[in-house]
Amino acid sequence: MEPAAVAELPRADELAPPPQGTDLVEWYFAKGFSDGFPVVPPTPAKVAAMLAALGGEPELLECRVPPRWGGLTREVLAINLVLAGCLPDYAPVVRAALLALCDTAFNLNGVQATTHMAAPLLVVNGPVRKIIGMNAGCNVFGSGNRANATIGRAIRLILLNVGGGWPGDLDKSTLGHPGKYTYCIAENEEESPLAPYHVEHGYAAEQSTVFLLAAEPPHSVTNHVANDPEGILDSICSAMSTIANNNAVSSGHCAVVLGPEHARTIAKAGWKRQDIRAYLWMYSGNRFRDLAFDHRYGKIYNRNLPVWYKREPDSRIPIVPSPDHIHLFVAGGNAGRFSAFIPGWGHMTSPVLRAIDGSVGPDGAFCVDGTCAV
Amino acid sequence: MAKTTTGGVEAVYDPRGRVDAAAAAIAPRARQLKGLRLAVLDNTKWNANKLLRQSLKRLDEEIGFAAVNYYRKESFSKVAAPELVGEIAANNDLLLTAIGD
Repeated sequence: MEPAAVAELPRADELAPPPQGTDLVEWYFAKGFSDGFPVVPPTPAKVAAMLAALGGEPELLECRVPPRWGGLTREVLAINLVLAGCLPDYAPVVRAALLALCDTAFNLNGVQATTHMAAPLLVVNGPVRKIIGMNAGCNVFGSGNRANATIGRAIRLILLNVGGGWPGDLDKSTLGHPGKYTYCIAENEEESPLAPYHVEHGYAAEQSTVFLLAAEPPHSVTNHVANDPEGILDSICSAMSTIANNNAVSSGHCAVVLGPEHARTIAKAGWKRQDIRAYLWMYSGNRFRDLAFDHRYGKIYNRNLPVWYKREPDSRIPIVPSPDHIHLFVAGGNAGRFSAFIPGWGHMTSPVLRAIDGSVGPDGAFCVDGTCAV
Repeated sequence: MAKTTTGGVEAVYDPRGRVDAAAAAIAPRARQLKGLRLAVLDNTKWNANKLLRQSLKRLDEEIGFAAVNYYRKESFSKVAAPELVGEIAANNDLLLTAIGD
């Protein structure tokens, strides 16, 4: 149901334009419209260029961003894109990411407000990565690339400015994590021996997609020894099998990012995506007694885990309910035998994958790596 | 959202977007509790049921409700389903809930 009345509008004194010559970077800081870093002050020309990249129609409402439920019109989106330092070419990616985040399945309301540290991780697939110059290689989670940095930053600015997820106010995260500034990567499809993630999920390689997961930071997995899939994947299983990550106690979805060297070693043995995900699921997990602290703080059932899990002391409790809950990517630099495990927030959220242009994947069965799905 | 540059001022923009919402009235406060029907909404947080059942026991001993109905949300992180809210509203006079993290 559409809201019936306007309950909150910006106050006139907040919007009073400052005298010519005002330091606008400081003005935006003073108004609280920043993530803590200096913003790029929007100008009419910059906002117009961004709007044009979004298809015009400044008053068109794209979505409402919780928990404040501010209206993300194209003009508001354009303003935040400029503030973040984006180029107009990035605008469709950010728009698609916000539509994914505001999908009911993602439960952005909860993600924004939780005491957990989760931040939306964006992974981009398809030709758009190259077109806009995203980094999928060295230091992929780190600094140094404008597209990765400012796309992620634009998302965060919108979650703050429009969604109202200000720390201590509507964002109650106890610790947060650095991905709450920017958390955006591209899959390294060129160096990957596996099918791209979006192709595994039914899109054509020529389509470009965004994948959003409410996620903890990446946990490094080092293995400079193994020359077979099992050895590498056992190291990832070890990183997954703690009782402290949120998947361990709250189920849900997680991500695994294989470094290209690890991916090549695994693929050389003929393993495909589904083999990798199945192995990771099968050989990670915890014993229920460990999750229940041997019941020394009282009898524990854990309502956040699926009802069908056995809860005997030595029952194996998977990190996530099935191999399909492990989202597998290949990213990072060519050299280095590292991968990463990225826990999710839990069953309270579902990741969302969507095409940047809003199109759907091919109808009916699709086949990847010799396996077909309907 | 934009402000113009006319009159010797800088162009600035409001990045927040408008909030459209309808005001809703709060239910009137109950004048007395004895003999009313109490709903307890467990949000399924770690310790919510423990906190709520203890609170409920003591409240019921002290007050004496006509009925106590216990409900659970599907997820602590999501709003209660409209059907559940409707059922609670239709069959109860009071609601007790807590986070219990």
